[in-house]
Amino acid sequence: MGSSHRARRGGDALTSDRTEQAAGLDPAVSAAVREAYESEWASVVATLIRVTGDWDVAEEAAAGAFERALVTWPRDGVPRTPGAWLTTTARNLALDRLRRRGVEATKLKEWTVMDDRHGPGDPAQQVLADPDWDDRLRLIFTCAHPALSLEARVALTLRTVGGLTTPEVARAFLVSESTLAQRIVRAKAKIAHAAIPYIVPSPDALPERLDGVLAVLYLIHTEGYTASSGPDLQRLDLAVEAIRLTRLLYGLLPGPEPAALLALMLFQHARSATRVDALGDLVPLEDQDRSGWNAAEIAEGLHLLAAWPATARTPYRVQAEIQAVHVRAGRAADTDWWAILARYAELPESPVVQLNQAIARGMADEPAAGLVALERLEASGRLAGYHLLPAAQADLSRRAGHVDRAAEFYRVAIELAPTEPERRYLVRRLEGLPSPLISEID
Amino acid sequence: MEYLLMYSQGTDPQPWDPAGQSIGEWVAETIENRTNEYGERLRPAEDTTLVRVRDGKVLLTEGPFTESKEWAGGFDIISCADLDEAIEIASKHPATRMGTTEVRPFMVWPDADPDSFVVPLGFAERPVKGKRYLMLVCVDPSGEKGVEDEVDPWVERWDTAGVRLFGEVLRPPADGTFVRTRQGKVLVTDGPYSEAKEWIAGLDVIEVSDFDQAVEVAAGHPMARSGLIALVPAWPFDVDGDHAAREQREASEWGRRTEPAVGATP
Repeated sequence: MGSSHRARRGGDALTSDRTEQAAGLDPAVSAAVREAYESEWASVVATLIRVTGDWDVAEEAAAGAFERALVTWPRDGVPRTPGAWLTTTARNLALDRLRRRGVEATKLKEWTVMDDRHGPGDPAQQVLADPDWDDRLRLIFTCAHPALSLEARVALTLRTVGGLTTPEVARAFLVSESTLAQRIVRAKAKIAHAAIPYIVPSPDALPERLDGVLAVLYLIHTEGYTASSGPDLQRLDLAVEAIRLTRLLYGLLPGPEPAALLALMLFQHARSATRVDALGDLVPLEDQDRSGWNAAEIAEGLHLLAAWPATARTPYRVQAEIQAVHVRAGRAADTDWWAILARYAELPESPVVQLNQAIARGMADEPAAGLVALERLEASGRLAGYHLLPAAQADLSRRAGHVDRAAEFYRVAIELAPTEPERRYLVRRLEGLPSPLISEID
Repeated sequence: MEYLLMYSQGTDPQPWDPAGQSIGEWVAETIENRTNEYGERLRPAEDTTLVRVRDGKVLLTEGPFTESKEWAGGFDIISCADLDEAIEIASKHPATRMGTTEVRPFMVWPDADPDSFVVPLGFAERPVKGKRYLMLVCVDPSGEKGVEDEVDPWVERWDTAGVRLFGEVLRPPADGTFVRTRQGKVLVTDGPYSEAKEWIAGLDVIEVSDFDQAVEVAAGHPMARSGLIALVPAWPFDVDGDHAAREQREASEWGRRTEPAVGATP
């Protein structure tokens, strides 16, 4: 794995090994390399994969090109079009590697021909550009191919499209480096041996395959927004990466579905600074300091929703609209819960949707109405073991003034909470319950 | 690329769905566009015989080898550009609407002649001279270690005898992909892998005079000692026939053995 350099807006745990290498360089040059890494990595790798047909060679050559930039850019200055410089350099490195490996001359000749077809002259003009599709789209669709396991799709997308190193991806998903490396090796082997094509799917297959890509991106975001395990509630580096990749996808393939997903992610991320207090504890939506929400992200999300017709009621669209209701409310009390309730009814039925619908009903109507719905859900057993069900029952019971019942539900939820901040939050809620009225103790 | 399509019931079997292509239409189209090399319906699992050679003895067991009811009801060998095309071809087969179809690539040998195929060209015109069996060559952890796995003498012997029609090694199960078509939607997954310790590593199609000869051929394969051979009789049928009527007609056939009893040795 070659080292490389990238700037990262969120979290710092992932960046230290990268940025340290750039220390000692002219800050302007090291910034240029980092910027190029962020904006060009996917392009360079994607093009190299198409041209070489070999994922490992492509990745090694791309990493090598960034290493070379660290040497030559301080000396010769930052090239006018860094992306073209990097692609050409990576292409030459890949050629060398394949030659050393003894790839037959015919194959290498094909390359030269390919190169010539684009004409001599300024390599910065269009290095091996594909006239039909941006190579990054091929890469995104191949990494999210449904013939790969979901875990492999996520790992491959973060590694190959996102440019994270294998240790970084391993850390992000709390698996060992060897497990993660093995997962990626397996996925690449299957791409090669089962002949998964390096293409953007045909128009017939595109909508379904696009759903698959969005699912991978949303999964990365969700893991960042609410970590499924570990000491921290949020892993913002992952959420930021998901937003970056979704923005990239939307730029390459503008359409209502990527727009809706991007808006949804932005609304959630806009609140990230206020979701956790100074001690790392969860702050519920109604107690969040709304002045701390990221106005630019909210504006971008609202703009994305307005840019596409609201007629296509895809789940991401509906969820984004629900989030939009929240972020539009100046105070928690201003939240239009009836609008939220109506939108939950549009989502495909699932236990988690029913849970949220019941909460919205309790907030819009009377808490008792929500509690009835939650009771039905509990009786169905479909959310057995899921901490947010008793947590919701506790909250609505509290609002209804049933302190004893609320305490009971909080205790159940505390037992089930998967992360430490969520557990601590529930304990605080339990301790914050008003003393029960005499009449209720019996 | 060449792929083996294996049709099985899968975990969510559906009733016969008359929508979409019939088997006859699917076969006609795939022969017409030259993607279909060869295919057979297979006898039910009960008619499968597992052949193992241990300590020089031929052991026969009634199949299938897995605990699950998963068993291929048929297969096709197809040739196409890549996995997406293979998935599309598989998705149209009626068995994919009723069950689950595994799409498993054949091994691509580095020195292979690009013009050679798993199924020899012109094979379809070859008249059927005997009983056809699919020999599934399987890895089996109970196999003998250190067996000389040189398969060429076996291939040469039975090719010369006109018994082995063709055969090829498959890529391992991890390179397989599972396809289901439900309500017109094509569902693609990378699993589930069977939990079985035995797995199919390759196949041969043989044409023999009777079951005893099939066992003789299978038992001579080096993998009968180091692994196991599943011997599955082909079950020819009229691809243009009415599916529902055929199912009714053959109802009594399912679950009844038509081959020699378990434990018989040639």
